[in-house]
Amino acid sequence: MTDPAPETQERPASLARHPARIVTRPVMRFQERIYLIEVWHGLVITSRHFFVNLWRHTRRAIGLVARAGAVTIQYPDDPAVVAKRGRTRHRLMKREDGTPRCVACMMCETVCPAKCIKIVAEESPDVMIEKRAKIFDIDMGLCVFCGYCVEACPEDAIRMDTGQVEMSSFNRQDMVWNMQELLGNKKKDPAANVPRL
Amino acid sequence: MKTVKFTINGKPVEAKENSLVIDAAREAGIEVPHYCYHPALGNPGVCRLCMVEVEGMPKLQVSCRLPAKEGMVVRSNSGPARTAQAASLEFHLANHPLDCPVCDQAGECYLQDYYMRFGGYTSTMREDKVHKHKRLDIGPNVMLDSERCILCTRCVRFLDKVTKTSELGIFNRGSRSELLPYPGMSVDNPYSGNITDICPVGALTDKNFRFKVRVWYLDRTPSICTGCARGCSVEVHTNTKRPWHTDGKRVARLLPRHNPEVNDYWICDEGRYGFDYIDAPTRLKAISVMENDKLRGLTWDETVAALPAELSALCAEKGSSGLAVVLSGTLSNEDLFAARLLFVDTLKAGHLLVKTGPDQEGEEDALLRRKEKVPNLRGAQALGFGGRIQESSWGNILDGITSGKIWGLYVVDRDPSAVWGEKANGALSRLRFSAYQGVNVTHFADSARWVLPSCAYVEESGTFANFQGHVQKAKAALQPLGDARPDWMIWGAFVRALGGSFPFDSARGIFTHLTETESEFKGLRWDGLGKDGVKLAGSREPQTAGAA
Amino acid sequence: MALTEPFWTFLKIAAAVGFGLNVAGLLGWVERKQSAVIQDRIGANRAEIFGFRVLGLFHPLADAIKMMTKEDFVPPEGMRLWHGMAPGLSLLFSMLCLAALPYGDKIVLGGHALSLQPLPLSAGLVFVLAMLSVGVHGVVMAGWSSGSAYSLIGGLRGAAQMISYEVALLTTLAGPLFLYGTLDLAEAVRWQAHSIGGIVPAWGIFLQPLAFILFMTAGAAETKRAPFDLPEGEAEIVGYFIEYSGMRFGMFLMNDFIESIVLAGLTTALFLGGWHVPGLAHLHLSQPVFALIGVGAFVVKVMAVLWLLMQIRWTLPRFRFDQLLDLGWKNLLPLAILNTLVTAWAVFLAGG
Repeated sequence: MTDPAPETQERPASLARHPARIVTRPVMRFQERIYLIEVWHGLVITSRHFFVNLWRHTRRAIGLVARAGAVTIQYPDDPAVVAKRGRTRHRLMKREDGTPRCVACMMCETVCPAKCIKIVAEESPDVMIEKRAKIFDIDMGLCVFCGYCVEACPEDAIRMDTGQVEMSSFNRQDMVWNMQELLGNKKKDPAANVPRL
Repeated sequence: MKTVKFTINGKPVEAKENSLVIDAAREAGIEVPHYCYHPALGNPGVCRLCMVEVEGMPKLQVSCRLPAKEGMVVRSNSGPARTAQAASLEFHLANHPLDCPVCDQAGECYLQDYYMRFGGYTSTMREDKVHKHKRLDIGPNVMLDSERCILCTRCVRFLDKVTKTSELGIFNRGSRSELLPYPGMSVDNPYSGNITDICPVGALTDKNFRFKVRVWYLDRTPSICTGCARGCSVEVHTNTKRPWHTDGKRVARLLPRHNPEVNDYWICDEGRYGFDYIDAPTRLKAISVMENDKLRGLTWDETVAALPAELSALCAEKGSSGLAVVLSGTLSNEDLFAARLLFVDTLKAGHLLVKTGPDQEGEEDALLRRKEKVPNLRGAQALGFGGRIQESSWGNILDGITSGKIWGLYVVDRDPSAVWGEKANGALSRLRFSAYQGVNVTHFADSARWVLPSCAYVEESGTFANFQGHVQKAKAALQPLGDARPDWMIWGAFVRALGGSFPFDSARGIFTHLTETESEFKGLRWDGLGKDGVKLAGSREPQTAGAA
Repeated sequence: MALTEPFWTFLKIAAAVGFGLNVAGLLGWVERKQSAVIQDRIGANRAEIFGFRVLGLFHPLADAIKMMTKEDFVPPEGMRLWHGMAPGLSLLFSMLCLAALPYGDKIVLGGHALSLQPLPLSAGLVFVLAMLSVGVHGVVMAGWSSGSAYSLIGGLRGAAQMISYEVALLTTLAGPLFLYGTLDLAEAVRWQAHSIGGIVPAWGIFLQPLAFILFMTAGAAETKRAPFDLPEGEAEIVGYFIEYSGMRFGMFLMNDFIESIVLAGLTTALFLGGWHVPGLAHLHLSQPVFALIGVGAFVVKVMAVLWLLMQIRWTLPRFRFDQLLDLGWKNLLPLAILNTLVTAWAVFLAGG
């Protein structure tokens, strides 16, 4: 825990009681004190960036290469890039016959730290399955996209791999996705409740 | 009674000679996992889970069939004991289906709990599991899933020994053994709900609670059942934080609490399932007064300013012997004290009805149920009702109304129409003053002039003395709904409005006052009531030396 | 059809002011794009008219529209008249300086030799410096009339910064002045027209390198350009802009750009040889063309200096106020005095 203090610095008596780490502050060299040399270095760096990027932009503008001069994406025209493992909008998985895998065990609702999942259970007509969800709502306005629900689910009934990150709506109620929308059976219409000015 | 000293897990324990080691361990705070043993149902030793190592004995013993002897050295947490417990668990789980996500017992399942505490092994089961009946409806309140059954036989023994109806049995042998009802029988005895309590796994589940809410969402509050004069100890399970699960209803279920004095481990089905009225749409949530054939809503301040004044003016004008007050037997001691103060001491009402009446009578049996559906039977007696305060009768009151002698009727949580039938309508229209104070809407409440909402028993703390004189404390589990208030609070405010003294703002304060002023309540303390309750002064048996 | 002097002067001043204002607008675009290219990104390119984006050149127009349509807010405790006058005053004096810059040499049209400098003042340098000094008034007026203690102190801070660096500025300029021997900007440019040893042009930057650096520094601080833009850095310390919004604020920003152009023009005139193009005289072009190429050279050099100022803005972090004043008084001023002394001694030794 204690670093040996350098000989150049005096150790105050209080440090004997409270061992501390002594941080030596670097002393400025002459060239740094003048600042002009550092200014020159800085200008070299930024100018280098300037001319290299200018060349890259020009190169693309005149058609020499297809690669863009900067990594900027023009968002609404270019799509938002999300990694495959990123946690995006949830979807409920279906069995082979099209019914949801969810058995309303409430693991996801219990573990959700934002308490955004609401499930109501009911009897399933299939005796081997026994239980299914009558209501399954996720409030995307509350969801923190932690992925705990995916980890907690014992049936692989919920996944967060749709790749969809755009879920804006015009009011809070529209941010609640119900079971049919999460299953993918019903599309959510973003223009449904546009407020009239 | 000879006691023996021995050690469990290194802890010195003293117990009665030949008492069971598993009991002694529990009292010492050491938990030994078990399924088939139940203190009220015997110890068959069939589950083989409660294995302990006893020094000197070559093989492991089942602690539920092991009598305690002097100088025994018992170990339940040693290597061999733990291995045996884990192995037993593995056998129990060998054919158990992977039903946890859909099983209602999740969260209070002994297989889950014991696996986490005493198991922790990786399963080596590679065979196909044996399949049995799933979702079998065996009674009005019970659902059977015989795949989940671990054959502990607790339910079979309960139905044999306690209810003596023997509806269930174990059929077939070996790994095909299955719990099933006997052909043609259904588990419809009045105590059928108890087998869902004692079943350690999700084989027997409550149909009324099925799929409603996960048990870890529930808050638990100790209380008393107000169904009959037995006053069984219960635990009220409420769901207030996630109301969508129980469809807005706050009370999710009632489970019995162990009370060796009153109800042992059991509760009848009427008491277990009789809580729907608490969150029903018929709950009274607001005060109303009928003026000129129009209903008007009021606040409590306005009511306290108007109602007692109206009553006392009418008493002065027409004579208080014309006032009939029908109180309910479900009122707690504190409520009855306040009622007595208001109606007997201050207003001097002519007719009083508390404990009696055909609307407060029902079935009785040898196990728990009592004929009088009056949870505060001896409490009402101790406060004088039926003794120095004479009780009238429904018949007397009806005659009084029809003859015109009774001008006012104040009913608390009971329905005159249920007793009088069609004669009620004509009678009620002749009343000069009528008031209904209760939990739910009734026929009388629709036509009464004053309608006051009061709390259900889960919304107010109070004490009840059952037919044995056993005083128990019921704790409030919920906040009052809407404008409802505890009955004692309403009547206390009325007493104050009439110039009387009512310096109490809690049930505890009233109870303490009762212990100081009433002879039967002497010696009791609110905090001293414990979880099991204490007997009233007049009901206590003389203490004999060496009592258990 | 001889162009009468007042008309020609009016035309020149209009052209100069037009040049200044247009470049100020362009500088908005340059700032966005240059910073973007330095920072490996694209910069603003969304503003479009009828589908034409033109590399984001419409963004300054969009900015102007935004400024004009914003709420014109005057703080209730403020002094309305001075509050409105302050930005106008600053802008007025900066734009006056634009007219004194030497854009080109004489142009001969139809037998008449016309100066390409809008205001051919014999003490042009003093005029420009005086106008820059008066610009302090705008700052203090803005700070005081905003009715807030914070903006008042911010205004005083800005004023302190400006007057500290004026001293350094003037002292620095003493060096080149000893060399050129004149306060007239056009004469100073003509002095630089000859070359040293036939190869290197006698520009101020080669003869007075220290003065060039000091002048750029002091000039940047005078015009509140980065890294001396503390009044603008309102996230760090409250400046005098805070109670300004809409076009009044827009005028302060425009003032910033105009002053940068004036600074760049001064630098070009005094240190980069103004309209002089080395070796152009050998081409023996016709006089009007020669003069106009000179104007073009002046404009190119001004652009180069502006580019350099932008580069410095996006390279260096902002100075803290105490560091700023330390720099001005303790570093620049002594160095400027040293430069002056050495120059004076050298000129004396070289014989006047």
